[in-house]
Amino acid sequence: MKLRRRWDIVRIRLRSLFRRKRVEEDLDKELRFHLAQQIDENLAAGMALAQARRAAHRKLGGVTQIQEECRDMRRTDHIEAFWRDLRYALRSLGKNPAFTAVILLTLALSIGANSAIFSVIDGVLLRPLPYPQANRIVRIFFHSASYPRFPMNPFDFRDFRARNRSFEALAGFTRGDLQLSGTGQPERFTGFQVTAGFFDVLGLRPARGHAFSTHDEIPGNGQQVILSDRLWRKRFDADPNIIGRKITLDAQPFTVAGVMPAGTEHPGNEYNGVAHGETVDLWWPFAFRGDPAHRGSHYLEAIGRMKKGVTSTEAQAEMNAMIAQLAREHPDYLTGWQALVIPLYREIVGPSERLLMVLLGAVGLVLLIACANAANLLLARATARQREIAVRTALGAGRASLVRQMLTESLLIALIGGGLAVAIAAAGVRTLVSLLPAGFPRADTIHVNAAVFGFTLLIALATGVLFGLAPALQASRTDVQDALRAGGRGASSSRGHLRLRSVLVVGEVSLACLLLIGAGLMLRSFVNLLRADPGFRPEHLLTASLSLPDATYKPVDAIRFWGRLTASLDSASGIRAAGVGTDLPWTGYDDNISGFTIEGKKPAAVLGDGQEFHARYHVASPGYFRAVGIPLVRGRFFTAGDNMKAPLALIVNRSMARRYWPNENALGKRITFEDHPKEADWITIVGIVGDVKDKPDSPAAAMALWWPIEQSPVGIGYMTVAVRGTSDPALLANDLRQAVRQLDPTLAVANIRPMDEIADANISTPRFALFLVAIFAGLALTLAAIGIYGVISYAVSQRTHEFGLRMALGAQPGDVRRLVLRQGVKLALVGVALGLVGALALGRVLWSLLYQVSAADPVTFTSVSALAITVAALACYLPARRATAVDPADALRSE
Amino acid sequence: MSKPSDLIQGTLDLLILRTISLEPKHGWAIAKRIEQVSEDVLQVTQGALYPALHRLEQQGWIRAAWRRTDTGREAKFYELTKAGRAQLEKELAQWRRLSKAVGLVVRMAP
Repeated sequence: MKLRRRWDIVRIRLRSLFRRKRVEEDLDKELRFHLAQQIDENLAAGMALAQARRAAHRKLGGVTQIQEECRDMRRTDHIEAFWRDLRYALRSLGKNPAFTAVILLTLALSIGANSAIFSVIDGVLLRPLPYPQANRIVRIFFHSASYPRFPMNPFDFRDFRARNRSFEALAGFTRGDLQLSGTGQPERFTGFQVTAGFFDVLGLRPARGHAFSTHDEIPGNGQQVILSDRLWRKRFDADPNIIGRKITLDAQPFTVAGVMPAGTEHPGNEYNGVAHGETVDLWWPFAFRGDPAHRGSHYLEAIGRMKKGVTSTEAQAEMNAMIAQLAREHPDYLTGWQALVIPLYREIVGPSERLLMVLLGAVGLVLLIACANAANLLLARATARQREIAVRTALGAGRASLVRQMLTESLLIALIGGGLAVAIAAAGVRTLVSLLPAGFPRADTIHVNAAVFGFTLLIALATGVLFGLAPALQASRTDVQDALRAGGRGASSSRGHLRLRSVLVVGEVSLACLLLIGAGLMLRSFVNLLRADPGFRPEHLLTASLSLPDATYKPVDAIRFWGRLTASLDSASGIRAAGVGTDLPWTGYDDNISGFTIEGKKPAAVLGDGQEFHARYHVASPGYFRAVGIPLVRGRFFTAGDNMKAPLALIVNRSMARRYWPNENALGKRITFEDHPKEADWITIVGIVGDVKDKPDSPAAAMALWWPIEQSPVGIGYMTVAVRGTSDPALLANDLRQAVRQLDPTLAVANIRPMDEIADANISTPRFALFLVAIFAGLALTLAAIGIYGVISYAVSQRTHEFGLRMALGAQPGDVRRLVLRQGVKLALVGVALGLVGALALGRVLWSLLYQVSAADPVTFTSVSALAITVAALACYLPARRATAVDPADALRSE
Repeated sequence: MSKPSDLIQGTLDLLILRTISLEPKHGWAIAKRIEQVSEDVLQVTQGALYPALHRLEQQGWIRAAWRRTDTGREAKFYELTKAGRAQLEKELAQWRRLSKAVGLVVRMAP
């Protein structure tokens, strides 16, 4: 009822507004009728016609006044006033195109930059993960002081799954790529071995067929596979009868159990990591092999869906209790471990959150500067319009209506700017996404959408009020008499004007300094990254990976295959070195850690109590180090002689040699992986190689050791191939493919990539951040320069008379110029000082994004200060020139 | 708008609503009726009547339609809406309370 009445009123008001002409006519007609009735009455009373008319008119009174009052009653006046203000604003913007262009451009650019960054934040951070009730999904790790995030042992996992009360579903998964052959070219697809319940955890179900059950986890229970929608369409032509069909994967028959729907996103993983997104094509059952009493190997990554109402802290507490319980049952394996339960959302977006927040902060600063700049320009114009405003005030315009009119103008500017900004954002986002670092989480969900539009509208309105209010209030305070008398120079308020504008400029300069320092620090950090020795030589190096199916390759066959492949590559022209190894620098790492015994050393003496000698282990062929370009520090690389008949040999990296044999030569020292070694179990260190960090910005290299391929105690079915050529590595791809095809045409050569591309991807995050912050800083500096220019120009125009007087009294143009410059530089100095203080205070925010640069880096601070002051001086130069160009006689006469 | 005219306008609203509560009337008739019934004590000027009518219309209490009068002229007839009838009740109650209170004070206060 209430609502209905409100609607009626709105309808009537709208009618009054939009059918104004009709309403006015009605009123006219109504009043004429009234008049006619009155005349009739007067005639009836015996008056003559002319007299009756006159009397009726007299009685009716002022028709215009009645009309005006009726209009007031219809309450459409403020809407009409708004239209009037709007038309006025448009006219005054059109009258001054240069001013309008500058102000619109700065606003559009800064609002657009904000919208673009916001659309990234919206897509990456704000949009929920593509799983139902995603906030209940958590990743579960083992945790200790040395290994903060460690995968699980499968049998530990199975016990957790059976005993827990916190989880609705608990699942394990581990990377298991499979090579598809039989239909067309052999090709390797990204795959995962998953336990039963994996898709339940994600809240997804196959579009066709069924998910795996615990029955499928028993070794030998049939080879089954679930396909991604993409693979099903690409390689099987979306065959509706695919379920139950046998396909050949890794040279073995697999039965297709299901097809996942499109949009099935991998939750991301750490070991042999695959990024979050639609990145996985195959899922096959994880089989629990081996002896449940042996729980030393950890390679299963765990993910769980918590029951409703359970928090991750509670789940973690329960996990810890279960680990403690298992540690009593298997004290050799589980002592010293704790659980780490992290919400999946944090896991996926956590690493990029800091970067995005820094970027948002940076564009926010740009927007503030743009606001200050717009306010400054409006103030300048308000000064020019002081006379006009004074005239309007004198003619009866109230202060409120003046403020309203000027705010209408600033809001109009902001909204047009916002409209342009959306266009800029739409274009910018596409560029932004293409610039995003490789593997940036959820990049595919970034779009300019309704939320982005809303955000843009909101900040456009906020900016409009922010930069419009000060000038509007200031202008409305204009002293009419003063302004009119001073002939537009408004002497008394000009000082207040200048003060306000100076404050704005100081603010602009300090914010710009803040951004410049941020950009400067990132630049220094980036240069450090580029200059840092990677520990290998990425140029002229082609990498690829090859997987030999267990079914057709016994270990001996694999050794023979790798030997023949490297030999054939070595003999090809244009190839300087070729090798295979389990790992490649900067491609993510498998935290394979092995404990061992060092001959004649006690771990406690070297490392402290409760610690064990350990290092990451890898396998390498004789040519591997030479091909990758990892230098030999001491001793020798592996040779073909390091075979099964030869004594066991080992290569360690410099970090390991220094840690375990400080002040000693590690060469010739022996270690063993056996608890009760025979003489033949001792392995001699034959070489020490240089360190390679996990990532270019890792603080230090991890300790690592390599076994020769023929003596490897671990599987060598899956290897990375490294081929070093003399020129463009892409040209080597064909040689590699051909060499493989000659040995075994069923093998797929996967992940063919030049190493410099991998190296480049590794610095793409800091480069991305640097690029954007540098753009923002440049924009900020330009805006600040415009601001200084505006203020100094204004000040010069105010002091024309004074300068003329000075010059008439004998001051040289240089003196006057210096006077003007000093005024501008003084403002800049205050701004720079504030900016430096702010940068010191904000340094902590940037710290984690920097590499080997202090957040208070003196070089950056000094050069930014110099740059800002130079730019300020340049911005003052034109007004300073103008100040001296004045003819003293003219200047004096202008009073 | 100053206080006294508010009072008058408020009262005028009541008078208009009451006058058209039985049947639709045009502006002239409303003014005449009020004068007649009040025995010429209450004179409604056009300058007050028409703005008041427009205001009541904007409030949604009355609505208007063009009709032919007995004399054959086109006139704008006003009638009460449902909301207007409720408003009339409210204003009547308020008026009764007010006039009773004023009456009491006038009689008892010396």
